Amino acid sequence: MIEVKELTKIYPEGRGIRDVSFQVNPGTAFGFLGPNGAGKTTTIRLFMGFLRPDSGRVTINEYDCWRDKTEVKKIVSYLPGELHFIENLTGVDFLDLIAGMHGDHCLHIKKYREYYVKAFDLDLKILIRKMSKGMKQKLGIIATLMLDASVLIFDEPTSGLDPLMQKVFIELILEEKQKGKTLFMSSHQFAEIERTCEQAGIIRDGKLLAVQSISLLREAEHQTFEIEVESETDAQLLKHSQLNITPLQERCFVIRIAGELETLWLALAKVRVKRFKQRSLELEEAFMDFYR
Amino acid sequence: MFKQYRRKVAIISTGIVLYEGLLTWVYPVIAKNPAISDIAQSLPSAVKTVFGVPAKARTDTFEAFISGQFFARIWVMLMAIYGIETANALLGRMVEDGSIAFLLSTPVSRSELISTQTAVLISTNAILVAAMIGGVYFGTFCAEIDIEHGRYVDLALLGLSFFSLIEIYSLFFSAWFAEEERALTYAMGLTLTFYGLDIVGGLSHKCSWLKNLSLFQWFQPQEVLEGTTDPLGPIIGFSVASVALWYFTKKVFEAKDLPI
Repeated sequence: MIEVKELTKIYPEGRGIRDVSFQVNPGTAFGFLGPNGAGKTTTIRLFMGFLRPDSGRVTINEYDCWRDKTEVKKIVSYLPGELHFIENLTGVDFLDLIAGMHGDHCLHIKKYREYYVKAFDLDLKILIRKMSKGMKQKLGIIATLMLDASVLIFDEPTSGLDPLMQKVFIELILEEKQKGKTLFMSSHQFAEIERTCEQAGIIRDGKLLAVQSISLLREAEHQTFEIEVESETDAQLLKHSQLNITPLQERCFVIRIAGELETLWLALAKVRVKRFKQRSLELEEAFMDFYR
Repeated sequence: MFKQYRRKVAIISTGIVLYEGLLTWVYPVIAKNPAISDIAQSLPSAVKTVFGVPAKARTDTFEAFISGQFFARIWVMLMAIYGIETANALLGRMVEDGSIAFLLSTPVSRSELISTQTAVLISTNAILVAAMIGGVYFGTFCAEIDIEHGRYVDLALLGLSFFSLIEIYSLFFSAWFAEEERALTYAMGLTLTFYGLDIVGGLSHKCSWLKNLSLFQWFQPQEVLEGTTDPLGPIIGFSVASVALWYFTKKVFEAKDLPI
């Protein structure tokens, strides 16, 4: 279990996180969302014992992440947000190095990694400095997953991956979840949080605004549509309906609906629709409320 | 980690051996020409100081020749620059660019990591120093120049301990600042200050006290090779200082916030 209690870390220039508390239960996945500079990476650095908290504490399976950082790393594998490697090594050299640094597990790790190398279709013989950003991202993900750790921490794992590989990543994460692993993932990709996590925390300006269950969010989810109608009469009809309507242009509206869509269909049946578009993902809209 | 530096160490070692080979090859020609020795003898002591030759030292021996041409200045600067740059690359740069994050996310403690980096640093230093001895032994053997082999081992040990201290304080700046550029600036600045004090202190009697502030006063290759000074004291001093500073560096690194 990951337990964060009143965690505060302020950098000299004033940024950081303040009084953050939440917990991630064993075998569950927690998505950590927030705009750039909100404090997501700082929180993860505190998990990994790279930073010392000013106050409060974070524990993983009862181990204090600062005091017992070496113990913590026996059960955690981590993918940094900004990937930098020892560039003179090949992919194989790098994975061997990381496996070797895990001592007794080394052989198990080397066996295990082949599965992920195949899944991501990565040529490990290439020098890391000659790899593209996407290839480096794949290498980082392989280095994280091959450890078969019980707690996985990802800092924006899919940035740099093409959509196909993002899909592969999500499938692999769901497999890891089935094995009972605990997952903590920061992301800007609402879709991947929605698909992989049970809970989501939203952080802004270093403060945790909310921790929500994804299933509860789904129940209360809003859907947003962008609709353009043919004529002024149609526009007037829509305006006088019971829908939550925000005009965009003369005959173009944004309609936001919670729950069932029946009222929308009834209103649209009375007008001639020129263009109909679902504007954004449901959860994204729910979270965007916190950002605004 | 060592693998990364193999090529660099091999190139520098080869350079050292070839340069020493060249010096030992030309020395017999120079030794047969007394005019060259007279010119060296007639140089003002300030000029000798700049080239790292002690004011009262002899100028007609192989030791004087190879010290002036290599050990006193070129070798020192080469090894110092290598040590500072490598120490910085092994820690400061890895922290700044974040490449240390993967290593520190394994169950290897910061203390073990910095020990490994130090081992890479000191072992490559030892290889380069060994190349220096190898080059001299090989060159003098081929050119049939008689040397006191033991004194070159003394110089190697003095060099190893001296360059290790430079490397350790460079590593300290990397751990302290956790930032490549500042660590490099301080390490380079401190070394150049020591070097400058040694040169300025040797230019006149008025400034000679400045030499006492420089680490270089304890590194006198020609005197060691001629047997006019015992390097044991400086070797112990440099080694003790390196160990103490390394221990402090380790403590600083263990407690440092790392923005990786």
